Amino acid sequence: MSRTITVEGDVNSVDTRVLLTSQGSVSAPSLVVPSGMTKIKKIIAVAAIDGLADDGGVTFFIRLGGNAVLGGEQSLVHHGAGSQSVQAGSDAAPSVGIPFVLDDADIDVSPSDTISIAAEMAGVDPGDATVAVTLVYGK
Amino acid sequence: MSKLYRSREGTITAVDTKTQLTTLGSETAPGPLLVPASAKSLKAIVAAFSSDNAVASDGAYLVRLEGPGLPEGPEVLAVGASGVPVATGGVSTAAATRFELDIPVTPSNEILIFGENVGEDTGSVAIGVTLEFLK
Repeated sequence: MSRTITVEGDVNSVDTRVLLTSQGSVSAPSLVVPSGMTKIKKIIAVAAIDGLADDGGVTFFIRLGGNAVLGGEQSLVHHGAGSQSVQAGSDAAPSVGIPFVLDDADIDVSPSDTISIAAEMAGVDPGDATVAVTLVYGK
Repeated sequence: MSKLYRSREGTITAVDTKTQLTTLGSETAPGPLLVPASAKSLKAIVAAFSSDNAVASDGAYLVRLEGPGLPEGPEVLAVGASGVPVATGGVSTAAATRFELDIPVTPSNEILIFGENVGEDTGSVAIGVTLEFLK
């Protein structure tokens, strides 16, 4: 049996830790690890940039922490993105961020404790970004 | 058994130049990346990169792992490549890739992570690496 939690947020500055606490129309989903769940079995992360800043280049990573995460904070890179401003009068193709899926993540967690999920982009600002993360719990 | 994940990132700005990855976003001085005391092996690395597409060129990217945390010596992996035909605009996004390994480690010792752009200079390249330890 497994359970999931998904959170998302805007990451609009480099080198800034952004807590992901919302879920679209659900403003405050529970971040308590479901009872009986002792592992993060899988992590799914997506990211995309609008590319509105010139000469941008970043990597995205998440931080998993809080009382629920055993073994200290876990950090995981999941995407890279870059941007180069187009010439006046031309267009840039859309950039699609396909999901990064980490199977068998196997991170120990403490059931009924609270997890924190934070996102960052590091490097040179490429514009605004959106990040969404799903954790799949198991035992 | 379970796993532990530790990451570093940085930006490569010159071709054929080892660039140590020493930061982690808002942590500008996270200190040495030590093999966790309970770790038995380096089970995998996860790498993500992105060029700013500022140069019409093509190149590849390496990750070099060195240091006393690796008793068998350094390791080098090719983790990706990119190129653009013009330097006048574009946006790219790419998911990270996990590379499964099984490299012995020395607990509590440091692993140094380097990124390198080889081939042609592709501009500024952001690169991030996660080490996945099995304990």
